[in-house]
Amino acid sequence: MKHWMRAVIGLGFLASLSAVAAPPPGTRLSFVSCPVVRDTRSVPCWTSDYQGDSYYLTIQSDVSAAVQPPLLGHRVLVEGIVSDKPQICGGIVLEPVRLSVMPELDANCNTVLPVDERYVIDFNPRPPGPSGGRLAFDPAPGATSAPPAPPVGEQQLPIYFDFDRAVSFRHPDVLLNIIKVAGQVKATRLKITGVRGAHKLSDGTLLQESTTIGRKRAEEVAALLKGAGLTLDAELDWTDAVAEADGVDDWQSRRATVVLTP
Amino acid sequence: MLPNNVFRCRPWLPLATLAFSGALLAQSVEPARPWWSPGEDTPLPATLEYANGWGRFGLVNADGPVTTDGHPFFEALGSNGRGCVTCHQPADAMSISVATIARRWQETEGKDPLFAAIDGRNCPHLPAGDAAAHSLLLKRGLIRVSLPWPPRDSSGTAITPGFSIEVVRDPSGCNTHPEYGLDGERHEISVYRRPRSAINLRYVTAAGFGVTPFIGKTGMLAAKDPETGKPVNMNMMADAREATLKTQANSAANGHMQVVTPLSAEQLARIQAFELQLYGAQSWSNGAGSLVETGGPSGFGPRNLRAGRDGVLGNNTSNYVFPMEDKWANLPEVEGADAMARRAFRESVQRGHDVFFYRTFWIKDATHINTVGLGNPIKRTCATCHGMHMTGMDVANGWMDLGTTNAPWALEPPESPWAKELPELPLFKLTCNADQPPHPFLGRTVYTQDPGRALISGKCEDIGAIVIQQFRGLAARAPYFSNGSAANLRELVDFYDRRFNIRYTEQEKADLVNFLSVL
Repeated sequence: MKHWMRAVIGLGFLASLSAVAAPPPGTRLSFVSCPVVRDTRSVPCWTSDYQGDSYYLTIQSDVSAAVQPPLLGHRVLVEGIVSDKPQICGGIVLEPVRLSVMPELDANCNTVLPVDERYVIDFNPRPPGPSGGRLAFDPAPGATSAPPAPPVGEQQLPIYFDFDRAVSFRHPDVLLNIIKVAGQVKATRLKITGVRGAHKLSDGTLLQESTTIGRKRAEEVAALLKGAGLTLDAELDWTDAVAEADGVDDWQSRRATVVLTP
Repeated sequence: MLPNNVFRCRPWLPLATLAFSGALLAQSVEPARPWWSPGEDTPLPATLEYANGWGRFGLVNADGPVTTDGHPFFEALGSNGRGCVTCHQPADAMSISVATIARRWQETEGKDPLFAAIDGRNCPHLPAGDAAAHSLLLKRGLIRVSLPWPPRDSSGTAITPGFSIEVVRDPSGCNTHPEYGLDGERHEISVYRRPRSAINLRYVTAAGFGVTPFIGKTGMLAAKDPETGKPVNMNMMADAREATLKTQANSAANGHMQVVTPLSAEQLARIQAFELQLYGAQSWSNGAGSLVETGGPSGFGPRNLRAGRDGVLGNNTSNYVFPMEDKWANLPEVEGADAMARRAFRESVQRGHDVFFYRTFWIKDATHINTVGLGNPIKRTCATCHGMHMTGMDVANGWMDLGTTNAPWALEPPESPWAKELPELPLFKLTCNADQPPHPFLGRTVYTQDPGRALISGKCEDIGAIVIQQFRGLAARAPYFSNGSAANLRELVDFYDRRFNIRYTEQEKADLVNFLSVL
């Protein structure tokens, strides 16, 4: 290969590097991409690639984790802020990060990478096998914290959902808390508003939930609360928050709001 | 136990070879077991043992001997001559093995009430006395379970399902029959399932870890005990359709026994009381010897089940699923062939326990385990799904799609012009409605032999999800899985090896089989 050709190729490579340079800390990112599993000597970690960079999402632990791993076989909606922390598993750390599994299958999302000795998980809330006897992120034995003050007056309780999904495994504790608060404030009125959300992705795409999801969320939450013993007749409403999507915490648009009035 | 000492495969070959040989020697020819007919007046002693191919199965009646004369579990309650005991035979770990079924067929020329037309035949319209009409019961130990379609909730209100069902294959003719079929007069779907083991039901029905008004895996409403209004663990039947032992007994009396009048409150209370005090487990192993000896592993034998704690998560080093306390690890040297074989088998059982508890693999595409916040895949162990202390069930709301009934993992005979074996189970095509979430790993079109929990919930994500069974008395009640697709313990292990690409070694498989044989 001639020297000038090598130089052109080299310059092109450098240019491409600069074109996809990682965004600086503090940058908000919102993208949909395949998750990637990387095995380690302990638990696997999860990353996702976006515009040439790999982003660390979370590690495998257990159901008590604040950020739970996504699903291979599905793309994942990632919302996070680029942090200046050292990379984990070769991925730029997003913190905080919010993940939502896209409902439909995507056979392209099927990458499991083998153990690479360069990537070591040096924090390990739970090994890959049996635990030591408690959930990874439960308070340590003996730890105490002051109980929250009992709620007083009208309460607005949001419920957040995965993209295009209504009630799921994420919600038993949330629903139980609503029933508890209803008793504490001696609620006489229950209003549930289901919201259809949307996401302004970093590439400018507007990602919208299905048109019926707000209603479905409201109706499903009402039916479950009633079935679990909350005897108030719920007033139901549903609304559309698509126009509010601006790329900043858009996950909060995927919600229902429960209002309990004494 | 520390992770670095969990695998005890000895570096020298002779012992490993002995252990593997032990796996072969420990299972003898299946002995004929006594049949218990309804209406026998034989008392059920406080403790008793029955021989099986792996040793002996032990039962303990915690409340003492049971007078079976007049006892509703042991009497023929229905119009077809069956009692509960017909399908829950004491010698078969209170389930019924296919070997026992085949023998009963021969002994009675197919006239035992076990073979009643309603569900002992592949379909009631098939001819009486024809073995082919009972092939699913005779070959796989399967009872026909007919369920309403669309499903109904506990109040009898029809549920709008999130999917449609087509019958793709109907070897028995039942699902396309003008009376019994999906579009028939009864609007029923027929699936075929193994009778579950009616032992250790205090554990199976325990409302401990994870039991709340909402199902932890889906957020939907948990079933309630109609007497107390409290949520139940929904761990009792393959599809969790019955909430309590009493509602199950009533349902079985109506469906399987064809009772004319519903069971009385007293009958139901007696059945429940009997079932909650009955414990069972293998008590003697041909390979390992006594499983109930003083100072032995605390996870073995029926008395340890009687003494154990229910509703406890065992997938941890505080409780363990089947505690062995390393008692069969590094056993002292012995002399004599018998003693050496016993020692080798015990060490194999210990290794099998450690494979079950510590050997990681990728658990992938299993709905209701990968979809509950753990991620897909997860690098975990057998004990992740089989985590209930002392039983190996899931602790609460324990249904999962492990692939036993759904394509592509469900066992199907190979289709070819030269095939000698034809499929005998039905095959359904389920198509999820556009406005419903699809099955998480199979998408919007799923082929299945048995939709499992989805026939009750009507939800796509539940297609093929089956409640995990307890591991006790396995030696006494082959075949395994709800559809009887694993003829023996080795096939059970092989299924998981294929399903999750575990790549067990032959030694690991032999050790696992030996471990399962002593439970």
